[in-house]
Amino acid sequence: MRKRWILVTTWLLMSAAGQAMAGGGPSSRDTSRLEEGERIYQQYCASCHGSEGEGQPNWERQNAQGELPAPPHGPEGHTWKHSDAMLYRIIAEGWRDPWNKTERLTMPAFENVLTPAEIRSVVNYLKTLWTPEQRRHQAEESEGAPFPWQSE
Amino acid sequence: MNKITGRFWRALSLTSWVMASLSFVSMAGAAEEALPSLSYDQTGERLLKVQANQLFESTDGGAAWTMIPLPDEVAEGRLVTVSEPATAEQALYIAGPSIGVQRSTDHGETWQELNDGLPNQDVTALDVHRHQPETLYVVIADDGLYQSEDAGTTWKKMDSGPAQPVRRLIHSDMEGSMQTGWLYAVSDDAVRLSMDCFCGWRPTGELDAGRVYDLAYKLDDPEHVYVATEQGLWRSDNGGQEWQQVKGDGPTFVTLTLAPQGTLYALDREGELMRSEDQGQTWTPPDA
Repeated sequence: MRKRWILVTTWLLMSAAGQAMAGGGPSSRDTSRLEEGERIYQQYCASCHGSEGEGQPNWERQNAQGELPAPPHGPEGHTWKHSDAMLYRIIAEGWRDPWNKTERLTMPAFENVLTPAEIRSVVNYLKTLWTPEQRRHQAEESEGAPFPWQSE
Repeated sequence: MNKITGRFWRALSLTSWVMASLSFVSMAGAAEEALPSLSYDQTGERLLKVQANQLFESTDGGAAWTMIPLPDEVAEGRLVTVSEPATAEQALYIAGPSIGVQRSTDHGETWQELNDGLPNQDVTALDVHRHQPETLYVVIADDGLYQSEDAGTTWKKMDSGPAQPVRRLIHSDMEGSMQTGWLYAVSDDAVRLSMDCFCGWRPTGELDAGRVYDLAYKLDDPEHVYVATEQGLWRSDNGGQEWQQVKGDGPTFVTLTLAPQGTLYALDREGELMRSEDQGQTWTPPDA
């Protein structure tokens, strides 16, 4: 319950600046999509990336299988360095580090599991895990690389 | 007894402090040593050499060198590198501690400072993106890595960079990056690599070769990489995941570059140029 309150508060604060300039307040639609993002995250992502987005231990080094473990999504990770377009693509198409010793997608593709709107919701949920400065950096990176237009 | 023990520990800690200080001074000296650097300008089909705070070009494979005029600020700093876009742009970028970044588009007749947005001018490394002539990367000492996407007009901090001081930064279009390519960072102790979205620095393969000086890759086959070290030349055929020593007859080189035709050029510590047409096996002076 406390976590949910923090999530909604973070999102409200994130939205407030932009919404204020646009002359409106954060909508209940935004917060419900964010809650949806967290629900999807917990269902599909948390088993590897951690329920708090903490990632797997020693995520910066290859494990015994020669694979990079799932990274954290919080401030200590690098998710915030990727644009919306890139994060969307990684979730939709999956990813394997090119230096991995195996060929499998260590990050599975979710394009046949999640709808485009659900993928966007998960990405927007991840943004609640970042610092304000990291959110600003990621928003700038996304200016030229937004979510794909067909992802309605 | 306690008094003797106390004196012993005081003496030991003083000795440790002195040793640590000497070690620090030695490392700092190594990092600041002015070594020559070399690069190949594909557009102008020329070699560019930085040596003793001066910039030279050669259009005949290093047989003759001509000095390129530099801005006055260089005299106050330490010129460490020159870089140029791999396109038809006529821009030439130079950088170094106390110099920052400067650009000339008229063969050195005039120079423009590009330091707005950088925290200071202690630039230790610079490179231009392999395919984007207006995308520049610089390393600021004790700060991190900055990127410009408008030819140095504005800068943005992208990363704190590797913890170790970076002497060379090389952008590569090797496949496999989430973004557009990769950045090699050469430090005294190792070569590290990051995708150009800056999602983490990874060490390259084991390279037990002493001090590392410089790196170059084949332009038409970027997984084919060379690195110049204290213990000679090393080569990788997979972007640096594994290294093999090149058993060549060359001296110790401190900088190297590859021309598009595959000719390998390198400078020794004194700035003497050698070239190899057989992937570093045999070396000859330019006028041989």
